[in-house]
Amino acid sequence: MILSNIETVPGKTITRFFGVVSGSTVRAKHIGKDILAGFRNIVGGELKAYTELLTEAREDALRRMVEQAESLGANAVVNIRFSTSSVAQGAAELFAYGTAVTVE
Amino acid sequence: MDQNAEVLVQLVIPLALLVLAYFTGTVIERRHYRSIRERERSWSELPVITLRSVPSGWRVVDSGLVSSSVVISVDYFKRFLAGLRMIFGGRVKTYESLLDRARREALLRLKEQAQSGGYQAVINVRVETTRMANARGDSRIAGLEVLAFGTALELREAP
Amino acid sequence: MSFDPSLPKDGINVTPTHPLREGLLLVVGVAAVAAGLAAMLAVATDLLVPRVPPRLEARLFSGWFDGAAEAGTGGAREQQLTVLLDRMSAHWLENPYQFSVVVWEESEPNAIALPGGTIAITEGLLERVESENELAFVLGHELGHYHNRDHLRGLGRGVAFSLVLVAVGLSGSGSATQLAAIAGQFTQRGFNRVQESDADRFGLELLAAEYGHTAGATDFFDHLPSDDGLSGYLSTHPLHDQRIHTLRAAARAAGWPLRGKRRALGWPSDSVGAEVREQVPGRGE
Repeated sequence: MILSNIETVPGKTITRFFGVVSGSTVRAKHIGKDILAGFRNIVGGELKAYTELLTEAREDALRRMVEQAESLGANAVVNIRFSTSSVAQGAAELFAYGTAVTVE
Repeated sequence: MDQNAEVLVQLVIPLALLVLAYFTGTVIERRHYRSIRERERSWSELPVITLRSVPSGWRVVDSGLVSSSVVISVDYFKRFLAGLRMIFGGRVKTYESLLDRARREALLRLKEQAQSGGYQAVINVRVETTRMANARGDSRIAGLEVLAFGTALELREAP
Repeated sequence: MSFDPSLPKDGINVTPTHPLREGLLLVVGVAAVAAGLAAMLAVATDLLVPRVPPRLEARLFSGWFDGAAEAGTGGAREQQLTVLLDRMSAHWLENPYQFSVVVWEESEPNAIALPGGTIAITEGLLERVESENELAFVLGHELGHYHNRDHLRGLGRGVAFSLVLVAVGLSGSGSATQLAAIAGQFTQRGFNRVQESDADRFGLELLAAEYGHTAGATDFFDHLPSDDGLSGYLSTHPLHDQRIHTLRAAARAAGWPLRGKRRALGWPSDSVGAEVREQVPGRGE
């Protein structure tokens, strides 16, 4: 599966396109990390636990999007976008979407 | 007796609310999914894509911005489970179906919007999710808005 | 470039776990963690409390319960109660405390051992009590709490578990906090019941030492509302029938007579309990 966030796949031509494919997941971190992050908020700096959580979730979302594209018989997803939103306090939703296409 | 009343308030009422929320929530969700699937099938001929340029071979007569949104709320049962999930971390499974429904609904409404404007396709679609605070302004979830927007195209002939 | 109108496979973005299964796992999980934490904290306070000398306790809590003492009704009854308490505590040989009694204007029958050595007794309890022996057992029971340092245990556990709940509360999850609180309360109740039984046993010993018999020890339970049903199950104290049974068995095992002459209560302007009764109806051996 070829993934890109531009209009096309360089060096190939799009022969067929499908609709929007998307993948999403909602993740929460456990309370221990939450409390540590609370302390980190005092001194600032990277919230490693949160970075990890979001990276993991984003991969998860991407995987689901690819799964949708595969179920269509597409071999590439172009113009992919990510969006992150906080669904509830301590929980984040990762959403990836793009257009499934067949390239040659 | 006093203590019994206290137990009632502490345990029985939330429990009853949970059971009620679970059953109504399940029925509503099942019905909504049925309607989503039906409409997705009937609207499948109208392309909605994230590409920014007009696909080659389309002859565009007119274009315009279309947008649609859905505001959804979490039921008591799902909120309860999500609350417990915050302790252990991991996938908040109960919210996934909720967001899935909202997003598919928003895209379907976008198609309906495009059709009623006399358009045959939507390009450069974007989807945004925003959490809305409740009237008291506290951090607990009140509603989620899913907004979908894109440029609708009127074509000389259907794609 | 052609358009293919087929739809992707359904349900990819939803984890196919049944919500009830997920719910059950989470509820059991949170409850187990909270109960385990509460039990751990209870054991930790139990280890710590015997190391706090009573003099330090008195110093620490001096002033804390001044409000409690001021809320007392004062007067002759408190003095009389203090005399009775002194007689009972005289049988506790290594008693390190300076005890005092206050009477609270509450209709609910209750007696509380406050840190530092002040025993608070409610009006409701005094109204129900019919003999001196009965009252002596109630005081003996509270002295048992001091003997076992239960008043500090309860306090320590409460504070420790509250801190845990505050930490859980930081996650912003109301449902988890509620569930953890309920699970923790149930665990603490288990510990409390053991304490009450131990305090009963100590009170019985003092009663036997003071009067030479243990008549009156179980009278008080007859004067309380029945504890059947939900409230009884959830109560911090063991069920009345169970306590009566345990007390009688303990008295028999120690060779203390179960029957004896009960002394009347001579409240300054009170006729209740003026007659000496040999046996409480319905509770005879």
